[in-house]
Order: sequence, then C-alpha cells, then structure tokens
Amino acid sequence: MSAVAQLEERASVRPVRPRDAIVRYSGIRTWGPFLVVLVLWALISAAGIFPSAFFSSPAEVWERALSLVERGILPAYVGDSLIRLAVGAAWGLVIGILLGFVIGLSARARKFCWPALLFFQAIGDIAWLPILIVWFGFSLTSVTIVIVYTVCFPLIISIVAAIDAIPANMLRAAGSLGASRLQRIVLVVVPAALPGLSSGIRTGLGYGWRALIAAEIIIGTSGVGFMMFDARRQGDVTQVFVGMIVLGALWYATDALLLAPFEKATVERWGMVEGIGR
Amino acid sequence: MNVLEIEHLTQSYVDAYTGDRTLAIGDVSFTVPQGQFVSLLGPSGCGKTTVLNIVAGFVESTGGRVLVEGAPVAGPGPDRGVVFQDFALFPWLTVRQNIVFGLRMQGAGKEERERRAEEMLALVGLDGFGSKYPHELSGGMRQRTGVARVLATNPTMMLMDEPFASIDAQTRRVLQQEVLQIWDSQRPTVLFVTHDVDEAIFMADRVIVLSARPSTVQADIAVPFERPRTWREIQADPRFAELRTELMTMLGVEDL
Ligand SMILES: Nc1ncnc2c1ncn2[C@@H]1O[C@H](COP(=O)(O)OP(=O)(O)O)[C@@H](O)[C@H]1O
Ligand SMILES: [Mg+2]
Repeated sequence: MSAVAQLEERASVRPVRPRDAIVRYSGIRTWGPFLVVLVLWALISAAGIFPSAFFSSPAEVWERALSLVERGILPAYVGDSLIRLAVGAAWGLVIGILLGFVIGLSARARKFCWPALLFFQAIGDIAWLPILIVWFGFSLTSVTIVIVYTVCFPLIISIVAAIDAIPANMLRAAGSLGASRLQRIVLVVVPAALPGLSSGIRTGLGYGWRALIAAEIIIGTSGVGFMMFDARRQGDVTQVFVGMIVLGALWYATDALLLAPFEKATVERWGMVEGIGR
Repeated sequence: MNVLEIEHLTQSYVDAYTGDRTLAIGDVSFTVPQGQFVSLLGPSGCGKTTVLNIVAGFVESTGGRVLVEGAPVAGPGPDRGVVFQDFALFPWLTVRQNIVFGLRMQGAGKEERERRAEEMLALVGLDGFGSKYPHELSGGMRQRTGVARVLATNPTMMLMDEPFASIDAQTRRVLQQEVLQIWDSQRPTVLFVTHDVDEAIFMADRVIVLSARPSTVQADIAVPFERPRTWREIQADPRFAELRTELMTMLGVEDL
C-alpha cells in the first residue's frame, strides 16, 4: 500500500459520536417516542378532558386487545388483512416493476404510456371501488385490484425517475468496458435504479396498506378495517383505538422486518442512500 | 504507427431550447503514435471533452474522421478505456468487482478475474481494499480504482477527462506521479484532457493546445522531460517554467 493510501484510509474512517452510540444501543431511539405518546395519552384520559365514551384509556385498550386476541378475533382479522395485502402487493410489485423498467428504458413506451399513467393516477384508488363492486362484488378480487392499483403508480413513477437519474457516465463506462445493451440494463440500470425501486416499494406498500383498510371499511366482511368500522357502528371507541394501534404496529413491523433489512443490505451498504429514519 | 488519427474534426451542437446551432469544434486534426501520452489542453468550454467523447464513441461527430488503429470509431469499445472526472465507478460493486468488470464482459473465468484483480490492486496501491465499496474510499483511491478498471483489460488507448479535477490539491500531485508510474507499466496510448497547464506538462510527452470555441489546434508542443518524473525534479527544471509561461500566454492567462 502506498503512503497516500494509508493517509487517505485514515482520513476516510468516520468517527462515531458518543451521543449517537448511546441513542443507538439503548433502544431509546426505538421506544422513546412511543413512551412519550403513551404517557400523554394516559394523562389526557386520566384528566378526564374528554368523556370516557369518546376517549378510552391505555389500560382499557390493552385489556380489550388482550380479550380480542384470546377470542381469536384479532388474529383472524389481522391474518385476513395481511393476506389481502400480500396478494395485492405481490401482483402490484410484479406489474409495477415490469412497467417501471419498460417505461423507464424505452422512449417509445414512455411516450405511449405517460398520458394514460397521469390520467389513471388521478382516479384515486378508492374511487375505483364503486365500479369494482359492480363488476366483482364484495370479493377478494375487488380488494386486490384496488391494492395493485395503489401499489403500481408510485412504484412506476419512482423507478422511471431513478432510471432517468442514472449518471450518463456510469452507463458510458459500462459501454466502454465492453458491456452490451442487455448487460448495461441488467448489470447497471437495475442496480442503479435500486434506491428508487426500494423507495417506490416503501411508498407503494404504504399506500396499499391504507387503501386496504379503506376497502375493508367499504366492502367490509372481515379484516382490521372492518373491525374498526364495525366497532364504530356499535359506539365501541375502545375497539376503534385497538384497530388504529394495530395498523401502526403492523406497518412498523413490515418496515422493520422486510423493508429496512433489504435497504440496509443493499442501497445503504453501497452508500447510494443515507439510512432512512435511522 | 499512429493509434489515433483525427482528421478535420468538427462538431456543432443544437441548443434544445433556442434551436441555435453552435460550432463547438471548428477544425481539429492531429495524430497520436502508439504509446504516446498526449495532453489536450484548452480553456474551459473549448470542446476538449467533446473530442474525448467522440474518440470514446459516446458522441457522434458532425464532421471529419476519427480512426483508432486505422478503423473509424463506431460506438464505445473495450479498446478505448475511459477514466472519468466523476470516477463513474459502480457503487454496488466492490473495488475488486469494479476492476474486473471489463474482464467479466469479455467472458474471462473467475480464476483469471481474481488473479488479475490482485495484480491490479497491487499495481495501483490498493491491496487490502479489494472488498471495500467505492463510497468507503477517498477520492484519490476511487480514481486509482477507475484507472485500474481501465487497465485491467490492457486497452489500446486510455482516455482521461480531467481525472484529477475532483481531487483535493495535496492528493492531486501525489496521484499524478502515481498514475504516471502505473501508466509506465503498460504504456497504453493516452489522451489526457485538462485545463491545468502544470498538469498538462507534467503528465505528457506532448501537449496539444486547443483555441477557444470554435476550436482549432493552436499549438502542438513536445515535452522534453525524461521519465520517470517527479514533481520535485520537474519543478526545479528551468525548462518547465519556460514551457509553462509559453502555454499560459497561449491560453491568455496573464497572471503567473
Ligand atoms: N450535449 C451538448 N449539447 C449542447 N452543447 C454542448 C453539449 N456538450 C457540449 N456542449 C457545448 O460545447 C462546448 C464544448 O464543451 P466541452 O467539450 O464540454 O468543453 P470542455 O471540456 O473543453 O470544457 C461548450 O460550449 C458546451 O456548452
Ligand atoms: Mg470538459
């Protein structure tokens, strides 16, 4: 190793700030904010600012959640919602990723699809429900289509934007090293678009998750959305609270178990994006 | 034998907004013999990058001929490796994988790639860094990776577009010396684009000066120094100061 390399190596090592370390390792970063919300929530409900019929306490919500789990209602509904999301998201990802790359790579495909893309993007996901119910009834098909629809658009748009943002010199470098067009696509465009792809998946799944809950409220036969809306009909505020917390917790788990590890192992490892929310 | 022949090259660009045509390269002709290190020097915006991009096959010229080893340039190819100012490394590949990208495109086997990677890492002074990702390296180390990536396939020509411009001043001088040493081990023909007079002299066997837009070859000057060169020796040489003054005057830079 040359002297310069050694010098430069020393310069390129980033110091760890001690405060960062404390926050990272003690779990304060993860649970701290929730703790604050929980304490505020308990204080507000104990102070009796709102009538208890409108505003349940943390203890009530916790008990209700336990009993819903014991009776098997919550697990069954969560399972239903997750399966619907998984089916819809899987189709949405396949279609969105394919279309994203085709539109991103082919000028002709882009010219052809872009106006339609903008047009259909404007028809919000739930705006499709009335006609879908007419066509497919209160079925999994209707829900799946709504989710596919919501997952696709942000995915396509962020993949196209990511492909457009690939530095020209990166593709030129590959070409001058002997890469064919296909090799440039597979070995350069795809990995270079990965930051856009992963942020598109994040946005798409987030929208899909919300659309699912909305669809369950309208189509409602089971699922977390149905549970919440059903509880409202019976004036059961505690159960509505349970539903809201379950929604947040499930999204948090999706992020922590699926999205974040994927990003950590790829685009963050490669220095292509800064850690999102970490 | 001339590796590169450029005959009456012209290039005009059409402004996408106004539709105006501007002539960037007026009339440029020169040839470069095998193994020569040539600096292409000129004021900013005179068309140096354009010339290099045409030789690389990234841009099609609007007039004239460019021959590499007697054959007209048609698109980029592995006979002409390019070192970029912004490195243009692949961030998702390790240093080692970046270096052997060209060999991979040629279908070289895993064993050969690994052997070559170690050779190149040693040559550019990066042994031990093969498993790092580009973002974990300093600018100087990244550019040495860029040079190694090009030289790994033994190209006929190495094209360099202001390769040290994004590197801090202290590192730059050391890197210039190192790149010359690396070049010396293979001696590919080099077209080295720069707007820095000192760098143009220090690196090259010959400096071709382009005039301002629309550019023509304003001067073609041989650099007399022996190799290997070090900044310490070159700077002390009175001929360096003379050459520098001559080129500065040509570029219209008054303050010395
Ligand atoms: N793709 C392009 N479209 C339009 N004008 C361009 C393009 N590339 C370069 N030019 C113009 O051509 C001239 C030469 O550019 P360039 O080759 O980059 O110069 P240099 O590398 O010497 O600074 C500049 O005036 C620049 O604005
Ligand atoms: Mg330039």
